[in-house]
Formats: sequence, C-alpha cells, structure tokens
Amino acid sequence: MTFLTRIVRWTMRQHWTFIAGLLCGTTVALLLIAAPVISLHDPVAQNLSMRLQGPGGDHWLGNDQLGRDLWARLLYGGRFSVVVAALTLVLSVTIGTVIGAWCGRVGGAIDEFVMRVVDVLISFPEIIVALFLIAIIGPGFGTLVLALTLVGWTPFARLARGIALDISSRDYIAAAEVLGCTRTFILLRHVIPNALRPISAMTFLRFGHKLITVGALSYLGLGVQPPDSDWGAMLADARQFAVRQPLLVFAPGIAIMVTALSVTLMGQGLEIDADRSRRLRAGQS
Amino acid sequence: MERFLLKRAIVLVVTLTLVSFLAFLVPWIGDTDPARAIIRSRVADLAMDSAAVEALRIKLGLDQPLLHQFFTWLGRVFQGDLGLSFTSRLPVADQILRAIGVSATLALSALFLALAIALPVGTLAAVHQGRRFDGIVTFIAQGFVSIPEYWLAPVLVLLFAVELGWLPSAGWSGFETLILPAAVLCLRPLAYFSQVMRASMIDVLHANYILAARSRGLGLAGALVRHGLRNGIQPVLTVFALWLAGLLGGSVVVEVIFAIPGMGRLIYSAVINNDMPMLQGSIICIVGLAIVINTTADVLYGVLNPTVTVSGDAR
Repeated sequence: MTFLTRIVRWTMRQHWTFIAGLLCGTTVALLLIAAPVISLHDPVAQNLSMRLQGPGGDHWLGNDQLGRDLWARLLYGGRFSVVVAALTLVLSVTIGTVIGAWCGRVGGAIDEFVMRVVDVLISFPEIIVALFLIAIIGPGFGTLVLALTLVGWTPFARLARGIALDISSRDYIAAAEVLGCTRTFILLRHVIPNALRPISAMTFLRFGHKLITVGALSYLGLGVQPPDSDWGAMLADARQFAVRQPLLVFAPGIAIMVTALSVTLMGQGLEIDADRSRRLRAGQS
Repeated sequence: MERFLLKRAIVLVVTLTLVSFLAFLVPWIGDTDPARAIIRSRVADLAMDSAAVEALRIKLGLDQPLLHQFFTWLGRVFQGDLGLSFTSRLPVADQILRAIGVSATLALSALFLALAIALPVGTLAAVHQGRRFDGIVTFIAQGFVSIPEYWLAPVLVLLFAVELGWLPSAGWSGFETLILPAAVLCLRPLAYFSQVMRASMIDVLHANYILAARSRGLGLAGALVRHGLRNGIQPVLTVFALWLAGLLGGSVVVEVIFAIPGMGRLIYSAVINNDMPMLQGSIICIVGLAIVINTTADVLYGVLNPTVTVSGDAR
C-alpha cells in the first residue's frame, strides 16, 4: 500500500502533460487489454447484410465493408501494433543503454567505432530496414520486431553515452569513490537514478513513431498478416469505402493518433522536468 | 581538420564496402536460387529445365567461390552496372537514378516547406518561452508527430481532390501533383525543426552577443535577425541533413499512396516482386547517400561554426 501511495505521490508531482498522457494512455491500454469483455461482437464475424452500416443499436461504431463490428475490430486491431511497438522499444532501450553506457566508460577505439556505426544507422529510415528484412526473411511479428530494433537502439546508445560521460565527470561520483563505495553501489545509487528520467523520456517520445511505422507496414500489406488485423491494415481496407462510410477511415486513424499522442505527452512531461532539474543543477554549480 | 576528413573518408569507404557485401549476400540469405529466379522472371515457367538452370549458373559464375563472385560483382557495381531488374528487365542503375531524382524533388520540397514555417515559428516560441504561444506550438508539434501519413494522405485526397476537385489525387506530372504529397510529408519534419529551432534560439537569446547588440540600441527583432539567426539555425541544418537522408527512401507510404515513381515505391515493388538485383542496388544507393549526406553535413557544420572543434564529436 505504501508503495502505491508513493507512486501516486510521485505521479502528482510531475508536469501536467505527463499526467494527461498517462491517464489517456492507461485508458487506451485498459481498453485493449479488456477487449474480449467490452466488445459485444466477434471482430472477424462477417454479416454481409450489415455492410457499411452507420453506428446504431449494439454496433456502437457501425460495421465495415464485410459487416464486421467496427468497435470490436478497433479494440482487437490495436493489440498487434501496440505490442510490437512496446516490445521493440523495450529491446531498443535495453540494448542501446547498455552499449552506450559501456562505450562512455571504456572510451577509445571501441567507443569511436560504435559511435560511427550509430552515425550511419541513425539516419536510416526504419521502414526501409523493415522492407529489406521482409524481402529476405518474409513478413511476420518477429521480422517487424527485429527490423525496428536493428536501428531503434541507436538514439538510446547516443543518449546513454552522453549521460555516462556527464555523470562520471561529476563531483559526487568522485566523492563516492573517495568514500570507498564499490562500483556496483555507485552504479545503482547514482548512475541509474540520474539516467532514468532522460532515457524514459526518450522512450516515451519514440513510441508514437514506432506505432506509426508498424501501422505503415501493415497498411502496405507487409506488417500484420490476415486473418489478424491492425489499425494500419484497417485503414488500407477502408480506403475505397471512404466516401460511403467515412467513419471506417476516421476511426482507426484517430485511434493511432490518440495512442501515439498520449504516450508522446508523457515523454514530453518527463522531458520538461528533466530540463528543469538540469537547469537547477546548472544554476547551483 | 585534415585528420578529421581522412578519418571520415576511411569510415565512408569501410562502411560502403561492408554494406555492399551485405547487399551482395541478400540472395543467399533468403532461400531463392538466383539462377532459378532469373529463369522464372524471364519465362515465367515453374517446371524449368534443370540443364538450362545449370547452364545459366555457369554463365553467371555462380559455381565460383563466394568471395570471387563478390569481387566480380563489386567491379561491375563500380562501373555503374547493377544488373537487370527481374520484373522490368531494364538496367537497375537507370531506374534507381530516375527514382532518386523524383524522391529528391519531393523530399526537398517538403523539407523547405517545413523549414519556411519552422524557422519563424520556432523563433517566436523561443521569444515567448514558457508562455501560452510556446505551449500551443509545442502541443501542435506533438500532434503533428502523432498523425500517420497513411491516414492524412487519404483524408486530404478526399477533401481536396474528391470533394473540392482543386488538386489531382495522385500521379507525378508537375507542380500540382507535388502539393498534396509535400504537404503530408512536411508535417513531421516541421514539428522537429520547430522544436530544434526553439531550443537553439533559447540558447541564443541568453548569449552575450545578443545582450551586446541590444545594449547598442538594436531592437530584439533586429538583434535576432542580424546576429541570432545565423547561430540559431545551425542545429536545424544538422537535423535537415538527417531528414533529407531519411526521406530519400523513407517516404514509402506517401509515394505508394500518391503513385509517385520515387525510391520508396521502387523498393516497395522490389520487395513485393522479390526483385533481387533491384533490392541490392537500392540498398547500396540508399545507404551510400545517407552516409555521404551525413558526412557532408558534419563537415559543413565545422565550416559554418569555426568554434566547434572538429575531432569526431563536436565540443
């Protein structure tokens, strides 16, 4: 219980954009998790007599070109892209932070080499890497995660390296070393807590981009594979029916936008506070 | 400076060699037999003559050791011969050159449009830092980043092409066909540029030379235009180079939706059709361009701003 109250207190201290994003993002996450409970219909059950119907009755958002319930498809469709985007981010953050922090500590030729690799990869559009990988090993969940991680770790490596260099040159690290603290203790007590906020800010800020890229590949027919569907694939299917039933185009687009924006807002809130505390530190020293 | 340039040149050559080796390996990683794939692309015959396959294999040198094949292939690449496309049976190099031109036109139009809006908006946001205008600009920028192109593009087509009939819905035949795709593509760089410009102008506003200019009686606007802009714009130019490299192949979705014959669509159709020579050619081309553009940007950055010590990592 005390842990929970601490989390709530910590949350209330954050910038308002973080709180707004958190509320909105949690709502979306809960909706996606609880999809089987909330949606009254099967997302793949076709009912051709209900084709392109507007909202009404227990079909809250109407039906698509095959008479499938749009609300149910929206809920189930979000799962694929959100899971791919989140999983990719977790992998990218872990790999990038470890590599970057390690480079910052060892320095020298290894550091130079890895940072040149980062320079090359960082400007490489994720969607192109994904297309090449799909051409070589075929589409699928694993291909998407691999492709997005392959270039996704680079910004985190750059950030973590900068933070590692910055932190290790600070007086409190020198003080801790003089006091005889072990390396592990310094890492756990000083380095990780100080690096956590900027890295998590960047994580949240990259989420929207990942989500949109996954959707783009699905839109092109190379992401999620039938019978599964996601928001990008729904947009592609709905394109030719846009004039007759605009909701089919608007609903998945707005779903992507709301999800991306809420996580981005969280990242922005964290970043604003990171800036503020950095300025405070700079002002003191 | 010479050492920096030399280092960069070595990195460039090594990376390009590595990338071309990877590109060369592409057909071997997937389980497509090149000889069979070529015959299939030419005669569309699934039950093919195994003697013909063998003959082609010897003719193409596929029976030679792998490294030997790589160097023969690399030699041809240096002469600008990237082979024939499986689908169109035209030289890959010609098609890529044409597509790069189209993509560059599209990318530059979108990026300059973004720059034209982002520079004044970012500067204004910096001047009004922490106030309502600044907050609104930041929020709109986050919104722009969250809009998927494959949603915005059909909606704009629906509005401006289908409903109003002002602009063509797709194609590549002049200025009118450029407007919608450039507008869709410019939103995300616009958001980034304006945020980078804002951050860098905030630093500029606190700089001593602005204070000095103002104490000589120059107004804020005058001081910013005459002294601030030149310094504030540098980080934006670095981001500009990154985006240019990214958009040369990365605007796949927009090019597919608007049927623009650029790099993105070329790669997309190569993937769909399993067109190996085209994929190899575009990998080399895109990575090569990305590296060249970024290296140029780094060097230019050093030239524009002599205070930066050019030794690998700035400052």
